[in-house]
Amino acid sequence: MGSKKIFLSFFSILFLVSVVLAGCSGSDSSSGNEGSGSEGDQVTLDIFQFKVEFKDQFEAVAEQYQEANPGVKINIQTVGGGEDYGAALRSKFASGDEPAIFNIGGPTDVIDWEDSLADLTDSAAAGAALEGTLDGVTKDDQVLGLPFNQEGYGLIYNTEIFEKAGINPADIKDMASLEAAVKTLDEKKSDLGLEAVFALPAKETWVTGLHLSNAFISPEFDGNVTSAFESKTVDFKYGDAMKNFIDLQNKHSVQPVVSLDYSQQVEELFSTGKVAMIQQGNWVYGSIAGIDEELANNKVGILPIPVPGYKEDAIPVGVPMYWAVNKNKDEKVIEEATKFLDWLYTSDEGKEVVLNDFKFVPAYEGYDASKITDPLSKQVYEYAEAGKTIGWVFMGYPANWGQNELGANIQKYLAEEATWEEIVEDSKAAWAESKE
Amino acid sequence: MRTRDLSYWLFLAPVLFALAMVIIIPLLIGVYYSFTDWNGIKIGSFVGLENYIDAFKDEEFLASLWFTTKFSVVSVLLTNAIGLGLALIVTTKIKSSKFLRTIFFMPNLIGGLILGFIWQFIFIKVFAGIGDVLGIESLKGWLSTTETGFWGLVILMSWQMSGYIMIIYIAYLEGLPSELLEASEIDGAGPFQRFRYIIFPLVAPAFTVSMFLTLSNSFKLYDQNLSLTSGGPYNSTQMVAMEIFKTAFGERDMAYAQAKAVVFFIIVAVISLTQVYMNKKKEVEV
Repeated sequence: MGSKKIFLSFFSILFLVSVVLAGCSGSDSSSGNEGSGSEGDQVTLDIFQFKVEFKDQFEAVAEQYQEANPGVKINIQTVGGGEDYGAALRSKFASGDEPAIFNIGGPTDVIDWEDSLADLTDSAAAGAALEGTLDGVTKDDQVLGLPFNQEGYGLIYNTEIFEKAGINPADIKDMASLEAAVKTLDEKKSDLGLEAVFALPAKETWVTGLHLSNAFISPEFDGNVTSAFESKTVDFKYGDAMKNFIDLQNKHSVQPVVSLDYSQQVEELFSTGKVAMIQQGNWVYGSIAGIDEELANNKVGILPIPVPGYKEDAIPVGVPMYWAVNKNKDEKVIEEATKFLDWLYTSDEGKEVVLNDFKFVPAYEGYDASKITDPLSKQVYEYAEAGKTIGWVFMGYPANWGQNELGANIQKYLAEEATWEEIVEDSKAAWAESKE
Repeated sequence: MRTRDLSYWLFLAPVLFALAMVIIIPLLIGVYYSFTDWNGIKIGSFVGLENYIDAFKDEEFLASLWFTTKFSVVSVLLTNAIGLGLALIVTTKIKSSKFLRTIFFMPNLIGGLILGFIWQFIFIKVFAGIGDVLGIESLKGWLSTTETGFWGLVILMSWQMSGYIMIIYIAYLEGLPSELLEASEIDGAGPFQRFRYIIFPLVAPAFTVSMFLTLSNSFKLYDQNLSLTSGGPYNSTQMVAMEIFKTAFGERDMAYAQAKAVVFFIIVAVISLTQVYMNKKKEVEV
């Protein structure tokens, strides 16, 4: 009896342990095969990227590239946007399963990942990158990343409502004319069927703390993200202009702004014509098209964010994310990875894909802008071409300062819990403290 | 317990192994990390107690601790009161008691994130709608102030947890010796007296369990917090778990966040253990 019991228990434990171990070794062996690329001269490129919106298109491109280059195998793994990607990338590196190509966001990431970033200065794509787009990833004259694309934001407006109200958007070129237009819209609110002129989503601290503030903080650093990153202080030199711009939106917005979020702003209010203007970027095209395709394709435009004393007729345009190549991989993998990125952004087939399938606003020379299909991206490219841009510097803000400090402070101001002067002082102090 | 022979340990081994791998070892590594300047990628140097000293000077961290404590006290009381109330209702001989049990338990089956979004809709849209119709100003703009955010979280939490807690109380209530209740009836005790002097002391073990569950759950709350208010407005409804997450992945200060997490772990452990100890002392044996 006793020996039978022991035998039985031994057996069941053997079973359990083997299940556990099988689970581990299963993933081990598969990743081992992919990683080593042992079959002949095949090189495997593991790509770890964050842009969920173009996952399918990107995978199709990889397919296309593999057919043309039989020696290369591409594995794409996508982890959705923002903070999650950073965390996932860290755990991926920590687990030893390092990707060959990954994404970085700007100067802070460059410092964090410095030991893993290959020098891409000599790549064709770096040579073709538009002026200024490499600022955020250049360190000691080395280019450590290649821009995805360009994005821009401003005040997106509904052309139909403007027409009905008798406002010509081309006339809005500075703060004064913007204020006048808002006044007109506000007066005709009920005729136009508007709930309010604006929808200010102060709950989304990235809209206020990063994007909005960027327009007014960028001039302090000449639009250069690296200067912002290196600066020990922030002055809020254009703080009054920023206050006026926030007040203008808040006064004429659907209330309460502190609990208004992105989907309410874009989908519920703007896409259904309940507000005339929202501060957003060309990325909202998809959200609007999902609700009203006609509106998204033909009736939207971007107005500038006026910064009196700096540029009143410009929109902030920048690079949201960069491709990086892992320095610690084999020489061969690094070479193939660079080749793939060059192909994607500088070859004729690649360019087609970037414009038509990815629907990117290109950050590189030699593209035919007339092929950009959605009106918001087209306008962003037009602004960029005309040089009417304000550089993105918020990637150079101290980590989490924009959202957690300034964005939260702006909520405090809007909830009338603090005065503008108080929140400016507080935000200045927080910047200085985190740069100590 | 009596036969701790080889087979005992063999049977226990897989669980111990798993426990060590996913809880004990990570906890120890985490404690180690909290004494370094680990940034999630590499460890630069050993910094001693610096992270801990900073944590106690961090206003945001302390504010979130205070908010969590307030929230926990209110939601523990409310959840247990409602849970016990529901249990008393469904253990009486009413016709639909089985059906009601199911209904009351259901919120617990919905994931925290989704619940948060559903309640966000209720607080922002439905409340504002009712406020408009009845002309009650205070129903408008919920979740846009600290107070309404606080009560929003409390309502959400007790709505979700009460059904679960109810089940625990039901188990104890149904196990009450009927002769005691009958005897009290014969002695002429009214419903209140019966509850106060007989039922209440006898279900005391249920309090130990359910208070432990509600307390630790309220302290650890993250997903409901994220989806309902995401800490806003101005981080004033941010609970500790969320604050730690932000420090780790927003400010990318992994070691510092780890130190805060260790502090948090100790606080939750001390409070829960004290609570269980105190409650145990009050329990009566039948």
